[in-house]
Amino acid sequence: MKKTVDVSIPLGPVHPCWKEPVRLKCETAGERVLRVEVELGYMKKGIERIMRGRPWQEVMFLAERVCGICSVIHNMVFIEAMEKISDIAVPPRAAYLRVIVNELDRMASHILANFSYCYTIEHETLAMYLLNTRETVLDNLERITGSRINTAYMIPGGVRFDLLPEDAAAMLADLVKVEDEMKRHVRIFETGPLIALRSRGIGVMSREEAIEAHTVGPTARASGVPDSDLRLRHPTYRALGFEQITRTEGDNFARVMVRFQEVFQSIDLIRKCIETLPDGPIRGGGLCRAGEATYSGEAPRGELTYSIKTDEYGRVLDIAIRTPSIMNIEACAHSMIRDATSIADVTSTFISSDPCIACNER
Amino acid sequence: MTGYLYEKDLRQMKYTILTSTRHDEAVRAIARRIGMTDAKLRMAMIRRFDMSLLENLESRWEMGQQYADRDDPVAAELGCELFTRFVPLVDTETMQSIYTETTAMIGNGSPRVEALARGKEQVREAVLS
Repeated sequence: MKKTVDVSIPLGPVHPCWKEPVRLKCETAGERVLRVEVELGYMKKGIERIMRGRPWQEVMFLAERVCGICSVIHNMVFIEAMEKISDIAVPPRAAYLRVIVNELDRMASHILANFSYCYTIEHETLAMYLLNTRETVLDNLERITGSRINTAYMIPGGVRFDLLPEDAAAMLADLVKVEDEMKRHVRIFETGPLIALRSRGIGVMSREEAIEAHTVGPTARASGVPDSDLRLRHPTYRALGFEQITRTEGDNFARVMVRFQEVFQSIDLIRKCIETLPDGPIRGGGLCRAGEATYSGEAPRGELTYSIKTDEYGRVLDIAIRTPSIMNIEACAHSMIRDATSIADVTSTFISSDPCIACNER
Repeated sequence: MTGYLYEKDLRQMKYTILTSTRHDEAVRAIARRIGMTDAKLRMAMIRRFDMSLLENLESRWEMGQQYADRDDPVAAELGCELFTRFVPLVDTETMQSIYTETTAMIGNGSPRVEALARGKEQVREAVLS
């Protein structure tokens, strides 16, 4: 007869499926997970403290370094917060270029997150296909900004580089390639019977639990939380007719599928931006002044908030960053993983929420 | 239940999380709402919550104020959902018994203010227990 034992299982801080160090302490009764405790602190950067007292020109580069995967949105939210404080207007062309770069970054982040999930459930073939497609996305990010990661593309009052017509044409051609490849990858994911066994009905988080923990981004949208995409309130996205993608299953499968669907949505948004790209300057100029503002933007993982206080020279006196992973990791540990029927589902469920420890330990 | 191979003392790191600008504001607001000192509340939180829940405290508090106990005024005064689901300082069974006792007192003709004050005192005790 099989003997059931109650054990405490630590996962991490170093684990083959984790991209970054974190320790999950699981208390189990046999295979059933009763309780999970998250232990952080293995890579605390103290970046908010480093930012204090520095001029915005330095903080702008530090902001990107909170997270290497979604660095563009950190740049964007910080700069747009500074623009809000100083009442700086952005030229329409620059606003559209910001959306293009932001959506390329979102695609790269979503594809990497889904790569991680496929790798965790040991579907390495699809995982490697996804990484290959991500390279094309990063190439396009480099084409427009000159860098694949930490692009420092946005500055108060505009962006640093324009999109040349030949680069726009090359980008559109690459997007066709990425779209075709992604359709194939999604088909593999959607129809894979083994993938379904590891993903459908696993790590379910209800809409109420998602709201309680203030879950954000694709993790919230997979649980059917309405009006949870801040792009709905961003003027440029509204001009582009952006609509939120929502699913209701709330399981691992839904979270991965929301990200896949958002990649296609990003492709459409970039195409729309290139087609309707307004003429005009890409830098409007402006001076950063004293003030205080809290500004949020939709990062690939969800709502990213910067609360900034500056002096008359644009020096950052105080700053607080609330990253989406703070909410998502907590919801994952205390709602999705709790009551998992197999310890093997802990890693896949954790990865399905796209946890970014670098963001959490900013 | 077997123990872990190694275990770190996380109290200092938890305290650092709780004393950052936005978290400190949330802790002070919760302490005011419960009617206890900030230091005692911090101590209770460090004991009960893991690091990720402490990091997410501010968001949970915001959501709790927005969505918790919207239909029942007695539950809202005691923070029935707020302190069990959103900021889980009290376990559900204890809060349920406090709520039942308070509503029973009001039903039996005790002054509402008195019953609620007693209920809140019990919530404070439950947080510190």
